[in-house]
Parts: sequence; structure tokens; C-alpha cells
Amino acid sequence: MELVLASLTNGISFGMVLFLIASGLSIVMGLMGIVNLAHGALYMVGAYVGWTIAVQLKLNFWLGVFVGGIAGALAGLLIERAFIRRLYKQPNEQVLLTFGFVYILSNLIIWIWGGHRRLQFTAPALYGSMDVAGMPFAKDRLAIIGIGIIIAVILWWLQEKTRFGAIVRAGMDNKEMTTGLGINLELVFTIVFFLAAFIAGAAGVIGAQLLGAYSWLGTDILLWALIVVVVGGLGSVQGALLGGIAIGLIDTFGKALFPQLAMFTIYLAMIVILLAKPSGLLGRKA
Amino acid sequence: MTTNKIIEAIRQPWQLQLIRFSPYIAGALILVMLPAVMPSYVQTVWTRFLVFALFASSYDLIYGHAGLLSLGHAAYFGAAGYAVAALILHYNVDSLWISLSLGILIAVLVSAGFGFLALRVSGMYFLLVTFAFGEALYAFTWNMPWLSTPGMQGIAGLPRPSLGIPGFSWNTLNFYYFILIIFLICFFLVYRIMNSPFGHALRGIREGESRMRALGYNTWLYKYIAFITTGAFAGVAGTLFIYYNRFISPTHVSVTTSFMPMIMVIIGGSGTLLGPVIGALVIVFTEYFASLFTPERWPLILGAVFVAAIMYARGGISIHLSRLWKRLNNRYGSIKS
Repeated sequence: MELVLASLTNGISFGMVLFLIASGLSIVMGLMGIVNLAHGALYMVGAYVGWTIAVQLKLNFWLGVFVGGIAGALAGLLIERAFIRRLYKQPNEQVLLTFGFVYILSNLIIWIWGGHRRLQFTAPALYGSMDVAGMPFAKDRLAIIGIGIIIAVILWWLQEKTRFGAIVRAGMDNKEMTTGLGINLELVFTIVFFLAAFIAGAAGVIGAQLLGAYSWLGTDILLWALIVVVVGGLGSVQGALLGGIAIGLIDTFGKALFPQLAMFTIYLAMIVILLAKPSGLLGRKA
Repeated sequence: MTTNKIIEAIRQPWQLQLIRFSPYIAGALILVMLPAVMPSYVQTVWTRFLVFALFASSYDLIYGHAGLLSLGHAAYFGAAGYAVAALILHYNVDSLWISLSLGILIAVLVSAGFGFLALRVSGMYFLLVTFAFGEALYAFTWNMPWLSTPGMQGIAGLPRPSLGIPGFSWNTLNFYYFILIIFLICFFLVYRIMNSPFGHALRGIREGESRMRALGYNTWLYKYIAFITTGAFAGVAGTLFIYYNRFISPTHVSVTTSFMPMIMVIIGGSGTLLGPVIGALVIVFTEYFASLFTPERWPLILGAVFVAAIMYARGGISIHLSRLWKRLNNRYGSIKS
């Protein structure tokens, strides 16, 4: 029972990290029609900056989350404004371009921080475990789940209940019509990209509680995020949340039940989804 | 006077032919002559260039002609490589003919399987799915102890192929020529495929799939066959890579390796015959010089070159070269028909 519960918290907390990274990726894909392959690298930027703040400089962990988010957002903003913007309406080139930035950012990070692995870190208050209804839970896992829920609610509210969210959804459905209504879609692109990059950077620090930071983290987390988007469907916060938690749980329980299959359970999940519902569980039309 | 004119009329097509093909002939001459007079470690770089030129040409079939942006191209390359390496490791079979057929077969099987699933979706999803499949194969090679020399990750210590000719031994130069022959055969095949009705149909699908469907083409089948064809050529490249590199690790299946043909095709010019070859030339030799000076900054240079190529030389080098060629031809190409 305790084992199941521990796996459950591990799975859901990992799923929340996946949700954070996949949500930005998915919204950018839905709105701008491009896959930002550098999204994982932005996550990695956040993780290392957060490490510097929280571990190296021994400052507040939450400050690390914020500054990591800002670092990711600035890197993302640079990529969007200076590069992607100039390849307007050439989706293939835009995607390839972001792939180039995976190399550039990862190598710059190794240059600055060195190649050795950074262990998991968290806020001092979140060490150890606490009892909930007589069962011990790891505090940092619970914190991740809490943050994930809060951000999911905020994003959902932004997407469904605000004017800005309505513009974004309209942009996903019909760009020409949205522009025709007098909306500066370019500006919306930039804001959404900035926001997605911020969440990715912050997710890097939040996820560092589980994963730490290492030199191939950028492509690793990107792969997870892409699978989450395939399973959940692109273009919505709900899809990313459902996909993230599903993949987090499938992976954790898969590893616990069939350790020799390791990564294959998630690929299996992806293939099943592709065969049964190619647009994902909660996807908008591609 | 009249006889002269007749002679000229007869000669014209031949000369025109010569001029038309002169870049190819010059290229072939360079490939045959130049490495022979170079030190043997540079010959190895030339060999690497040919392997990657073939790999990039195979990628151009699917990206440049069919317009499908696949991110998992190393899967077929690496699958063929692993099949050949495992054959040597476990069964001690290093005959070229067996391993080449096996490499192609495995690559075709993998691409047929991946393609069947990946072509269910289109656009961005296609990209996601091919990426994920490539990484699935990467995880597979990583986790299968059968696919590793005991005590390490990957298969090392592989020999050069045996051709079954008694008294024959390999050196870097004759190995280079061996790769060159296979490369030229494949290059010719790619050329024929590109200029066949099939190739034209693929470009038609790239430009407007619904229009091609309206014309009665089974576009799914065309794309699927293109997917498998490209897998077969990538399989040849993967097999040759094993014999060149003599070591394979999961990296050679992963996205890092998939990235190589993509960048070569982009830099050289997609949808052209020579583009991938020129791209491979640029990248392999840049890699070589970078490895002499700053090996640890190579990914950074690669990424920067890639971004610069996409931003500022989008048509690829081959477009500029062919424009230059046309201009030279107009100015000095004395023969006006």
C-alpha cells in the first residue's frame, strides 16, 4: 500500500513537471504552428540558473524558480524575436532553426557550468516527509504537485476565461480572421512564446527537485514533452495536463511493475494513442 | 564551308553534353584523384564524407522531395548499423554481401514499421512521432545487453568487411575507393528515382497533396514508398558507417545523428541532387577542422552554422553554385545553339 502510494506521488509529481514543460510547447504549437524543439533547452537553462541561485549562492529556492523562469523567458524571447520572427510562414525552417538552438544552448550551458551532473536540490523547508492521514509523503513531491495544480488552474483560467485567452484560441482556429479583426497577432505570438519560455525555465528549477541537471537534459525532457503532447493532444492546457499525468503515472508504474521494459511503456502508450486517436486524448485539430 | 557547318552541327550536342555534365565529371575526378595524394588520416575524412553524403542524400528524398520533415532518420541508419555489428559480434559474419543485404533489410523493416504509424498523422504530429520513434529505438539499443560488447555501451572492435577475394587486404585508400563505388551506385540510383515519374509525383505531393489526390494519385502510398526507399538508402549508409567507424553506440541511433543529414541537406540545398553531397562536404570537413582546434565547442559551431544557414542561405549552397555556373555558362559558354 505504501509502495503504491509512493509510486502514485512520484508519478503524479513527475507528471506535473511534464505538464509544465508540455503546456508551453503545446500552446506554442497550436498557436504558431511550430514545434519549438529548443523548449527542452530552455528548461535546461532554467535548471542550471536555478541551481546557481539556490545551491551555489545559497539563496532562496523560490527566488531560483523565478530567476530560472526569467532566464528561460529571455532566451526564448531572443529566439523568437531575432530568429523565428524572420522566417515568417516557413514552418519547416522555423522548426529546424529551433533545433539548432538545442545545440547552441546546451553547449553554452556546458561551457559555463561544466559537464558534471548536478544533484537534485530543493528548498530547505521541503526536505524529508510529512504524514497525511497516517501515510508518509515526501514534501518536495507534494510541493511539485501543488505548484502544478496552481499553474494548471492559472493557465486554464487564462485560456478559457480571459480576453487574451480568447484571442489565443481564435488565433489557433483562424489566423487570417483574427488578424482581420484588428488583433496584432505578432504581439500575441511574442507574449505567448515569452510566457511558455518562462514556464519552461521555471519548470526546470521545479523539476530539478526530481531530476537534477545534466548535459543532455535538454533533449531528454524535450522527448518526454513531445510524447506528452502526442498523448494529450496539442493546443490546450487540459490536454497537456491529462497527457502529463498519464505519462508520469504510466512511466512510474511501468518501471515499478516491469523494470526490464523501462522506457517502453510510454512508447507503447504513444503507439496505442496513435493507432486509436491520432489527434491525442484532448487535442484540437492539427 | 558547308562541311564545316555540318561538322559543327554534329559536334554541338556532344559538346553541349560535355558542358552540361562537366560539373559532375569534375566532381567525380576530384573524388577519384584528390584523396589518393593526401595523407591517410585525411583519406579517412573523405571516407566519412562519402558515408554522410549518402546518408544526407537518402534524407533529401524524404525531406527535399516528399516534403516530410522527419526527425528520426538516424533510426534506419542506426538499425542497419546495429544489425551488421551484431551479426559480426554474435555470429562472426563479416561478409560484405550478407551484411549489406541484412542492413538494407533491417532498415527497410524499421522504416516500413515507423512509416506506417507516422504517416497516420501529418504536419507537426508527423515530426513529433518520427522524433519519438527515433528515441524509442535509442532507448531500445541502450537497454538491450545483447546489443553491446560486454562491459561497454555499444559494439566496438569491428573489422572491415570481407569481400571474399583471396589475398586482399584493406588500407585506407582502397577502403575509400570501395566506399566511393557504392556511393556512386547509390547516387546514380537516387538520381534515377528523382527523375522518374515517382519522383515527380513526390514533388507534386509536396507542392499540393490534395491536388495530387484529385488527380487520382494514392498519395499515402507514394509517401509510404518514399519513406521505405529513404530507409533503404539510409540502411546502406548505416552499413558503410559500421565498416568505416568500426564502433557503434546508441548515439548513432539518436536525434544527435538524425540532425546530421538534416543540417547537410539544409546547408547544401534541399530537393537538389548535389545539395546533400555539398552539405556533407562542408559539415564533415568543418567537423574535422573543429576537432583539431576545439573539439568541445563543435556542437556550438555546428548549431551556429546551422542557424546561419537557415537565416541567410536558405536555398542552400548548391543553389548559389548552380546560379554561378549558369552565369559562367552564359558568359563563356561559347556554344550557342
